[in-house]
Amino acid sequence: MNKNIRLAIAELIYNAGEGHIPSAYSIVEVLSVLYRKFLKFQSKKSDWPDRDYFILSKGHGCAALYVILEQYGFITKKDLEKKGQPGGILGGHPDASRVPGVEASTGSLGHGIVTAMGVALGLKIKKKKNKVVVLIGDGESNEGTVWETALVAANLKLGNFLVIVDENGSTARILPMPDMDKKWASFGWEVYNIDGHSETDIGKILSKLKFTFNGKPKVVIAHTTKGKGVSFIEGNSAWHSRVPKDEEMESIRKELL
Amino acid sequence: MSNLMRQAFADTMLEIGQKDDNLAVLIGDISHFILQPFAEKCPGRFYNIGICEQTIVNMAAGLSKVGFHPVVHTISPFIIERAFEQIKIDFGYQKLGVNLVTVGSAFDYGALGCTHHCYDDFALLKNIPGMEIIFPGSPIEFNLLFKQRYDNGLPTYFRLPAATHDVNLKKEQIIFGKGITIKTGGNLTIIAIGSQLKTAMLSIAPLNDISIDAEVIYLPTIQPLDRKLILRSLAKTKRCLVIEEHGKYGGVYDDILRLVADEPGMNIRYSSINIGDKFVHEYGSYEDHCDKLGFTPENIVKKVKSGL
Repeated sequence: MNKNIRLAIAELIYNAGEGHIPSAYSIVEVLSVLYRKFLKFQSKKSDWPDRDYFILSKGHGCAALYVILEQYGFITKKDLEKKGQPGGILGGHPDASRVPGVEASTGSLGHGIVTAMGVALGLKIKKKKNKVVVLIGDGESNEGTVWETALVAANLKLGNFLVIVDENGSTARILPMPDMDKKWASFGWEVYNIDGHSETDIGKILSKLKFTFNGKPKVVIAHTTKGKGVSFIEGNSAWHSRVPKDEEMESIRKELL
Repeated sequence: MSNLMRQAFADTMLEIGQKDDNLAVLIGDISHFILQPFAEKCPGRFYNIGICEQTIVNMAAGLSKVGFHPVVHTISPFIIERAFEQIKIDFGYQKLGVNLVTVGSAFDYGALGCTHHCYDDFALLKNIPGMEIIFPGSPIEFNLLFKQRYDNGLPTYFRLPAATHDVNLKKEQIIFGKGITIKTGGNLTIIAIGSQLKTAMLSIAPLNDISIDAEVIYLPTIQPLDRKLILRSLAKTKRCLVIEEHGKYGGVYDDILRLVADEPGMNIRYSSINIGDKFVHEYGSYEDHCDKLGFTPENIVKKVKSGL
């Protein structure tokens, strides 16, 4: 369990007075493994043409991405301190035109996944081997464009395209979407289910994937828990966009330090 | 519907596609056959994606990110209205380039009903900072203006009309952002866009009969507006009539009102012919709709007599 990253996320949101802790906590392990073991990048040259493309389509989980981007040197501690403030580059949803390492300006759901598909198509046309990874939410999967993408990417045989679904139970209480894996499989995707909080599982699956220009696109359903890592936030929908009060922040620190 | 503009589109794609490997065309199941020469000569860069306009538009942003100059082509309302948020966020906010080339704007699909009409495209798109809006009223205009703008990294809208204006323009007159003085005059400026240039030209003789010497300005570029040309003409004639196939709000007429309001000391009388604040529920040909909605030389004369 990545206690340090989770603490940094909580501090970031506490200081900024805005943010989505549970949606960031559910993707910590996935992001951690992606950046540590899987994605090729140059943090000081974020537009390096040979980089792999990662898009956080569920933009409201961006606190986790910001903390990781700072860890790897894309952005600075000062950037984190200025989140949500005049002159800062970090907001409640990521702005690709301002934040190094952010590939798409997401926030309105159902956009990042389609942009990523376009990137994958473009790389396929140019025969470039950069990988394309997009992380979407299960709530985001209510959006029609997610399923248009499922249809189109399979038809275009975008074997260089990986979607990770953060199946954190968001949609279960709104618009239940059972059998997520079967839905994707029925569109012709290569489907995997994993424990999205097990770095071992995540690493194993990612190392197994074969990226090709003419194959099935891949989807990994990462089964996760909203707010994972802090007892009173885990699975508690009241915390969706809640900013910790002083005493709550103290409790978070106690659990994570 | 005239095929001239669609053919100009297909020919231009073929012409540029063979020179520039970064031109890629995505369509929503229209113009498939007419684009086959492009598809054959530029393999791997033509995609009939399907009936999913938000996705087609949004995908183009991904292509743009990896160096393509994407072209998205289908019917106006399905791109501009249905996928408006995609245009706003994926290109405007993200500062990525795209070429949106549509047919079926205004009431061009006159017999198909309001689902296939689009009278608010200029108004919507002008609200996206960085957006370019081009309305070529003849094949040569599309060819030249597309070449001037397609690879500039900005979102550009090309509204292809069903009818052409049939006025011969010189190549050197067709410059992005520039209006064209088709005829000089003295006591009225008619500002015409798209195929309504033809109506404007047909009004010159009957206007002469009532001692009106009309200056006719044609605007192939809607955004940005050729402010200088318009102001210079209005300063001379003091009377302005705008004729445009657009709804009442947010068209060229509104831009000119704002333009003049910002200029000190100009005392201008205005009028306009547009589609109005309504859905066009009637069916019929393009010409039927023009007659019914007042896009006629007779209505221009009437407007001048009554309001100007």
